[in-house]
Amino acid sequence: MEKYQDSRDSGQGQSVSTTIFVASYEDVIVARQKVRELMNEMKFSLLDQTRVVTAVSELSRNIIVHAGKGEMTIIKYDESGRRGFRCIFEDKGPGIADIDLAMREGYSTTNSLGLGLSGSKKLCKNFSIQSTRGKGTRIEIAEWK
Amino acid sequence: MTFIGNEISSILSKNRNKICDSWKKQLIIQSRTLVELIGLNQVEKITQEISDSLIKAVKTINTHEHEDYKKLEKQVAELSREMSLRNITPTETAQLIFFIKDAIFPILQEDYGQNSIIADYILFINSIVDKLGLLTFQIYLESREELIKEQQRAFMDVSVPVVKVWKDIVLIPLVGMLDSSRTQLMMETMLSAIEDTQSKVAIIDISGIPIVDSLVARHLITAASAAKLMGAECLITGIRAKISQTLVQLGVDLSGIVTKTTLADGLQLALQMTEQKLI
Repeated sequence: MEKYQDSRDSGQGQSVSTTIFVASYEDVIVARQKVRELMNEMKFSLLDQTRVVTAVSELSRNIIVHAGKGEMTIIKYDESGRRGFRCIFEDKGPGIADIDLAMREGYSTTNSLGLGLSGSKKLCKNFSIQSTRGKGTRIEIAEWK
Repeated sequence: MTFIGNEISSILSKNRNKICDSWKKQLIIQSRTLVELIGLNQVEKITQEISDSLIKAVKTINTHEHEDYKKLEKQVAELSREMSLRNITPTETAQLIFFIKDAIFPILQEDYGQNSIIADYILFINSIVDKLGLLTFQIYLESREELIKEQQRAFMDVSVPVVKVWKDIVLIPLVGMLDSSRTQLMMETMLSAIEDTQSKVAIIDISGIPIVDSLVARHLITAASAAKLMGAECLITGIRAKISQTLVQLGVDLSGIVTKTTLADGLQLALQMTEQKLI
């Protein structure tokens, strides 16, 4: 499911956002495809596409594994000559108790390789994470040319 | 309220031919495409069969068993299934059923127009026909869902082929998304192929996988170590430049597994490992 929002009038320069509900493994594929489509449209290189789409795959699957459901919002922006986009992964899941520990390579609570968060941070130009225990998690990645 | 099914049934049965005829006419006027698709004879048969069953069903619908009503439901379900197979939209199928009202109500109007009992008669028929209309939708959805499941099964069947490419060498080409159920299938087919063919080398080719993230990587590592336990070596081929860079950045360690860029390289290595030569 998708909803489109045009926030062009809100005075933040030119930006268009798309929200995708992430609730099943099929939605992970949709999220990947949306980001790949956008990057293709913005003429990012194939390597960049693979890099970012891999991170999107990790982060959107994290939503399903840890929170069950959530949202990914893609915000495309074009500000003073800098073109890029942000992806925000938000869920209202259990949250992360110790972010530093969760970001450590190889740390996992689900018997996975434990590379999702640490790897995504390395794969993306910009990565920020906020989490409150019992409230949810919000991860934002950004990419620009 | 006393049961009025008997009276309605006898009114309908008295006018049976009139109802069939007027129902058919309604369909010809209002659902041309449907009539053209299934043919006039078929329409005639459907209207007659359903009218007859309806006449019987309204008579016994209040009984505990209501066998006749169940029979009618079955008939309508069968009709809906057939229509969905013929690519007729569920709306058209439901309309086909609903038009029987347009055939029955004028007859009731004619005979009982002045009598207040007509409201009860109409409500009675209405509720039965509406239920039948909804049933056609439900059956339509069910038959579609069945189709999707069937296709999924068909897809799963072809999704993990195992090819014996040479003596002692099996190849598993992977395409698309590697989720848990497909991984499970891959593991099973690969391991049983190794067992059956007594192969020494298994090549997993991931050229067709667009994104290799940590989950896919974990699946590959697990598959490789399972193969190793059976005394077979596992090669992974099809790791392209962009995937290799991404994997390194992601921090995935595939150093315990032999990997190659192309399937050709992998096959050559496999031949060497099994001490075979292409002559």
